[in-house]
Amino acid sequence: MKIHVYAGLKDYFLPEFEVEDIIRNTDELKALLLTINGKAEALLSTCRFAVEEGFIDNAYNLKNNDTIVIIPPSSGG
Amino acid sequence: MTPSSSSRRAAEDSRVQGDSHAPADKPGSALSAGPIDMVGMLAGAHHPGAGAVVLFSGEVRDNNRGRAVAFLEYEAYGPLAEQLIAEILATAKEKWSLATAIARHRTGKVGIGDTAVVVITASAHRGEAYAANRYIIDRIKHEAPIWKCEHYADGTHEWGNNCNCHATTGDVTKHIYESQG
Repeated sequence: MKIHVYAGLKDYFLPEFEVEDIIRNTDELKALLLTINGKAEALLSTCRFAVEEGFIDNAYNLKNNDTIVIIPPSSGG
Repeated sequence: MTPSSSSRRAAEDSRVQGDSHAPADKPGSALSAGPIDMVGMLAGAHHPGAGAVVLFSGEVRDNNRGRAVAFLEYEAYGPLAEQLIAEILATAKEKWSLATAIARHRTGKVGIGDTAVVVITASAHRGEAYAANRYIIDRIKHEAPIWKCEHYADGTHEWGNNCNCHATTGDVTKHIYESQG
């Protein structure tokens, strides 16, 4: 499973990386990410997740070949 | 929930202005890696049925919260940002019966005084053009996956000014827009 992170999340994780663990949903992914860097907890709790250019929630069943994009709150404009 | 195709359809339906000075960008892209051709956008926004054209230009100022800013750097998750902006424009066009709704947002390094985002709306009367313009920029700022990194004059930088509506609404998908305040 490939993970892409943006903006402030790059202060805690590499912009792109892969995880080998079996991850079934976004809650499990968040838990795994916190084992990598627990300091990201506050920001991660505000992030949304996307797969294939669409937002997903925890009910979405993640697949091993998914590319997950983790999206912090916007700060455009 | 599965990835939605509705915003993708909106992207096909909505008119998003291109930037002739950013050849690396796709024609019709809402994102620009180079300077935004605001004059060109405005020239393409006029419509015979529109008696009002409103242009908003968000520009980089030299200070933020008492600190001297050297420049901003914008990052976007392109595919979703394009889709969301297209959906926002399409919604605004329908809600206010606009003749024109176009927007373009910078990515990359943007200097002091340079334009970071442009929104242009045109409608029969000014009320609709003003209201729709405000709606579009509010939603872009709160919802589009675009982020600014502030680079300060002292050499430090900070990802910041993120939408913090969730602290009030309790839901990262629910926002409080300035135009509603």
